[in-house]
Amino acid sequence: MRDRLPSLKLSLTMTGLLLVTLLLFCADILFGGTPIEAADVVRALFGAGSPESEIIVMEFRLPRALTAVIAGAALSVSGLLMQTLFRNPLAGPDVLGISSGAGLGVALTVLTLSPLFAFSADSPLQGWSMILAAWAGAGMVMVIIMAVSSRMRDIMTVLIVGLMLASAISAVVSLMQYFSNEAMLRTYVIWTMGNLGNISWQQLRALTIAALAGMMLAFVMVKSLNAMLMGDTFSRTVGVPMRSTRLILLAAASILAGSVTAFCGPLAFIGVAVPHVARLFFRTTDHRTLMPGTAICGAAILLASDLISTVPGGGHIIPVNTVTSLIGIPVVLWIILGKNAMGGRR
Amino acid sequence: MREKGAALAETADLTIGYSSRRRCVRVMEHLSVSAGAGELVALIGRNGAGKSTLLRTLVSLQPPIEGTIRLNGRDLQTIGSTLLPRIVSFTSTEPVAERNITVREAVSLGRFPYTNWIGTMTAADRRAVDLALEDTGMLAFAGRRLDSISDGERQRTLIARSLAQDTDLLVMDEPTAFLDLPSRYSIVSLLRKLTREKGKCVVYSTHDLDTALNEADRIWLMHGDGITEGAPEDLILSGTIAHAFESPLLSFSSKEGTFSFVRGKRSGIALEGDPPALSLTEKALGRCGYTVDQKASVKIMVKREKEGWQWTLTEGSEIRCYYTLYDLMVHLSEE
Repeated sequence: MRDRLPSLKLSLTMTGLLLVTLLLFCADILFGGTPIEAADVVRALFGAGSPESEIIVMEFRLPRALTAVIAGAALSVSGLLMQTLFRNPLAGPDVLGISSGAGLGVALTVLTLSPLFAFSADSPLQGWSMILAAWAGAGMVMVIIMAVSSRMRDIMTVLIVGLMLASAISAVVSLMQYFSNEAMLRTYVIWTMGNLGNISWQQLRALTIAALAGMMLAFVMVKSLNAMLMGDTFSRTVGVPMRSTRLILLAAASILAGSVTAFCGPLAFIGVAVPHVARLFFRTTDHRTLMPGTAICGAAILLASDLISTVPGGGHIIPVNTVTSLIGIPVVLWIILGKNAMGGRR
Repeated sequence: MREKGAALAETADLTIGYSSRRRCVRVMEHLSVSAGAGELVALIGRNGAGKSTLLRTLVSLQPPIEGTIRLNGRDLQTIGSTLLPRIVSFTSTEPVAERNITVREAVSLGRFPYTNWIGTMTAADRRAVDLALEDTGMLAFAGRRLDSISDGERQRTLIARSLAQDTDLLVMDEPTAFLDLPSRYSIVSLLRKLTREKGKCVVYSTHDLDTALNEADRIWLMHGDGITEGAPEDLILSGTIAHAFESPLLSFSSKEGTFSFVRGKRSGIALEGDPPALSLTEKALGRCGYTVDQKASVKIMVKREKEGWQWTLTEGSEIRCYYTLYDLMVHLSEE
C-alpha cells in the first residue's frame, strides 16, 4: 500500500506531528487557570517548587495534560474504527449514540449506585465501576446499532437509529436526574460538560490501561480494516472472518470511547472529526499509517482544545466540550459539503 | 500455468439457494457444469435466473444446498479459509466502500492472502501488484484515486486486484455492467487475453449476449430447466439459446447468432442501389415493418449523388425523391 510512496515524507509528517503534540503538551502544563512562572512549573515537576505550585502542577496540570493525550487519541481511534466499520465518514462515538450509551452507564453509577455503596471520589473502585458501566452502556448501543446495520443496507437508517437511541437514553437519564438528590445531580451535570481536569492519578491509571488495551485490540485488526475498505464481500472472499472481526472492532471502539467518556464526559466531535484531519495530513486510506496518525492528531487537537479552554478566561475555565464542538463542527460540515460537492462535479 | 482444458471448477448435481433454520429456498437444482484452465466462461441467463447465486456459491460466499463443487480437483468443503483465497478470487458488483483509495492501494489488497498479520508487502508482493497493473493497462493510473477514474478503469482496477490475488480461477459477477460498448469489449477482450496468455480460467456473468457469444470459449446458460453448457455455437445450433430467451418480442437468428425484434409484417418493397446505403435502408424498412421483395410493385432506388445519398420511391406512376432515410420512413409510415 504505502510501501511504494516515499517513506521519508511519511516519517517527516509523523515526526512533525509528534513535535507539535509535544509542544502543545508542554504549553498545556505551562499555562492554566492560575498563572505560574514557567521556571516554577519546571521546578515543580522535579519536586523543587513551592508547595502551592507543586500541587497545582503535579495534581492538576500534569494529569490533565496526560488525560488530554490519552482521551484525544482513544476517542479519535474509536471514530476511525467506526468509520471503516460502518463505511460512513460521519460515524463516530457521539453521532451513533455510543457516548450517550456510556453516559447512561455513568448516570447509573453516579445517580443510583454511588449513594448505595457510598463511593468516595478517589476510591479506585469508583474508577473501575464507572469505566465498566460506561463500557457496558457503550457496548449495548454498539450491539443495537450493529444489529440494525446488519439488517438495513441503508446506512442513513443506521444513523437515524443512533440518533433515536441517543434521544431515548437522554430521556431515561432525565428521569433518573428527576429522582436524584442535588449533590449527585450536580456531579452528573458537570460530568456532561466534559472535563479533562477532574481526574485523579488512580483514575488516570485505569484510563491508560483501558485505552492501551483498546488501541492494541484495534491495531491487531489493521489488515482486516484495510480489506474492509473494498467492501464486505471482498473481505470475506480473501478470508477475513467478518463476524469475529466486527465483534472485535466493536469491542475495541466501545472500550476506547466508553473509557474516555466515563472519566472526561462526552467530548463532542473529536471522534468524528479527527480521522478526517489525519486523512488530510497523511493522504492515505491505509490503516497502518492512519491509525497511529489519527491517535497523534487526536492527542494534539484535544491538547489544543484544553489550552484554549483554560487560557483566555484568566481564572475561568470554559467547558472543553464547547471548544471541541467549535473545532469539530466545521470539520464535519466540510466533510458533508465537500463530499457532496465532489460527487456533483465528478 | 496448467494444461489447457483441465477442469478447474466443477459442479456435480448442485442445488443452489438460500436456507435458514425456518425455510429453504431452492433457486436452481441439478446443476452440473465445469470450467477449464485457459477458458473464458460466460454465464448467461435472464434476470433472476440465479446467476449471482451460482457464482456466490462457487466462491463459498454461501453454502450449496445439495451437491458438490470441486475447485482444482478438491471438494470446496474441505478447502480451508486460508487456502481458498489462493485458489479463487471473486469480483462482485458491490461498490468499493472507500472511494478515496488509490488504484495501487486497491490492487495491493489483492495480496491479502499472502501478506503477514499487518499486511507488509514484500518485494514479491510488489512485483505481483506491478505485473497485475501492467497486464490490465492500469500502471499509468496507479496513483489515481478510485473516484477520479472512469467506470471502465475502475473495473480494470478490480480485475487487476483479482490478478494480484494470483489465483488460477477468477470469478466475476457482471464485470461489464454499466459500461458503454467500447469499454465492454475492452473488458471482455482483457479477460480473454488473461485466459490465453496467463492460462487463467475466468468465469463471468453477463447480460451482454453478443459479446459473450462471440468471445467466450464456453457458455453456461441458465434457463428455466437448469443449466446447459457448451461452446456458444453448440447452444445456438441446439436452439437452447433461442429457447432460453424466448419472448414474443424477440426472434433469434441462428445464422448470425443475434437477437432482433419481431415486427408485424407489412407489405414488401423492391429495393436496389449501392452499398452501404442498401443494407441500412433494408434495416430501416424492417423497423417500419416492410420486407424486401424484388417482385413488389413499390420500388426504392438508392443512389449516391454529388450532394449525398438520394432515395427514389416509385409507386405506380408516382415518383418521389428523398435525401434522408428519415423523411422516406415518415412517408412510408403514413401510408
